[in-house]
Amino acid sequence: MNPDRALIDLLDRYAKNTLPPEEKAALEQRMEGDPVLSQQVQEHLNLIESMRFYGRRRDLKASLEEIHDTLETFAQQEPRQPVMTVTRANPWRKYWPMTAVAASVALISILGTLQMTQSLETKQTAYYKELRRKVDQISKSQSRIMADIAESNKEKTGPVPETYAGTGFMVSANGYVATSYHVIKGADSVYIENETFGRLKVDILFNDKENDISILRINPELLTSVKSLPYTVSPSEANLGEEVFTLGFPREDIVFGEGSVSAATGYKQNPNAYQISVPVNPGNSGGPLFNARGELVGIISGLQTETSGAAFATKSTVLLHAITDMPVDTLNAPLALPRINTLKNLSKVQQVKKWREYVFTVRVYNAPK
Amino acid sequence: MYYFDELIVSEIRKNNRIVLQELYKAHYPMVLHLICSNSGTEQEAKDIYQEAVIAFYEKVQQPDFVLHCKVKTYLYAVSRRLWLKRLWEKKRYRGQIEEGDALAGIDEEMIDIEAKEEIFHKMAASLDELGDPCKSLLEAFYLRESSMESIRDTFGYSNTDTAKNQKYKCLQRLKKLFFNLHNPPPHES
Repeated sequence: MNPDRALIDLLDRYAKNTLPPEEKAALEQRMEGDPVLSQQVQEHLNLIESMRFYGRRRDLKASLEEIHDTLETFAQQEPRQPVMTVTRANPWRKYWPMTAVAASVALISILGTLQMTQSLETKQTAYYKELRRKVDQISKSQSRIMADIAESNKEKTGPVPETYAGTGFMVSANGYVATSYHVIKGADSVYIENETFGRLKVDILFNDKENDISILRINPELLTSVKSLPYTVSPSEANLGEEVFTLGFPREDIVFGEGSVSAATGYKQNPNAYQISVPVNPGNSGGPLFNARGELVGIISGLQTETSGAAFATKSTVLLHAITDMPVDTLNAPLALPRINTLKNLSKVQQVKKWREYVFTVRVYNAPK
Repeated sequence: MYYFDELIVSEIRKNNRIVLQELYKAHYPMVLHLICSNSGTEQEAKDIYQEAVIAFYEKVQQPDFVLHCKVKTYLYAVSRRLWLKRLWEKKRYRGQIEEGDALAGIDEEMIDIEAKEEIFHKMAASLDELGDPCKSLLEAFYLRESSMESIRDTFGYSNTDTAKNQKYKCLQRLKKLFFNLHNPPPHES
């Protein structure tokens, strides 16, 4: 037997620690005395240990690899796991009682609001107010008369009372009078009256609802001849800031008012009107607006409530257009606009004195309803 | 001090595979993130991490082992150093990788780890070069500690003596290969 092999066998057993104690002691004693043998033993042990180390580590690596594989498969499988499907319950089914309650509340509020305001229209705080004067006193007497009639005899028609009053002015020497449409709107009969002419019956010739202009004509038989009017109708628009004056009948007496042109447009940017800072009152409607030269520049039409000093006047240019467009024009008495302005160089007082001769209070009589 | 970690260590010393698995799973994402955010791939992360876990595992198996820090800290520190080294080798090193909790004695630790790694690779290379049946024979005898009788039967030797003789020859060859690789002979001039 190879002595080396015998030694290796011995060393194998030594490494495995299976040597009987006496043999182990003998070997260790030999090693102490023999450095060559000692080195041989160390080498052998080193080799065996390295091998064992290798083996252990290899096994460990294998098991780690296995662990890692489980990790990876876990990681890979994770997204493949069936995603929990969220079934959405029909929201209508869930929420219909709530929706119903909400709808009822909304309905009740809307109806309630309507009930209180009586209107779907948004209530404006500032609105346009037409300036025809309702004749209260007579209105009262009217109701009294009506009551009397109702008591005494229902079939009997009493005297027709005057219901509204406004202002008008002459636009031509042959008896044409201009006023606001809203003044004579729905009129049964219209009379005009002033100091110079007294009381005259007029016919409504032409209405321009959009521009709030009406042309009336004095019954020719009643008209005392007028040579010519002292003023003209301005064919151009008034400038901003231009001084303007008016004459009107907010009361039974003629009232003078002055101010200036505040804006070139009227209520809600109406381009056919001016905003003016002339104090006006119900009854001023239809009154003439004239400038410092005595030319007619507009017709008073209304004011904006809750805005101080915001009155409106229809532009004279619009009046001219209305007159040109006027379909009804009798051949024997065409509407001849005044051509010469004789007021130009007069003082204001003189101008007013001339003007007032041709300004009338317009009395409107409505049939009782 | 690290009660939970101590528990893990004691379980690993008992070769508790479940604990090892959980430990492995628990800290892998950390190292994966570390490597992948420092120009590494998932495969590299896996290699580095396994090396670190092996180092830890072997360290724990040593009878004189005392836990000085959290397991996580150890794994992070070792992984980081291993990855730095790998980057250095790949010439792709880009600046400093942020150090987690500083680990005392990491330099010695790394030397030890590298030495062990070297032994492992040497042995693997030697055994590969040795080839079968010597490799299997030696593994059967030294690693699985099979008896000569079962080796004789497995490898088909006529008797145990032949088997012993074969084992002896194989071991001698391995010794030569291993130590030559381990301590390469000086170049002859």
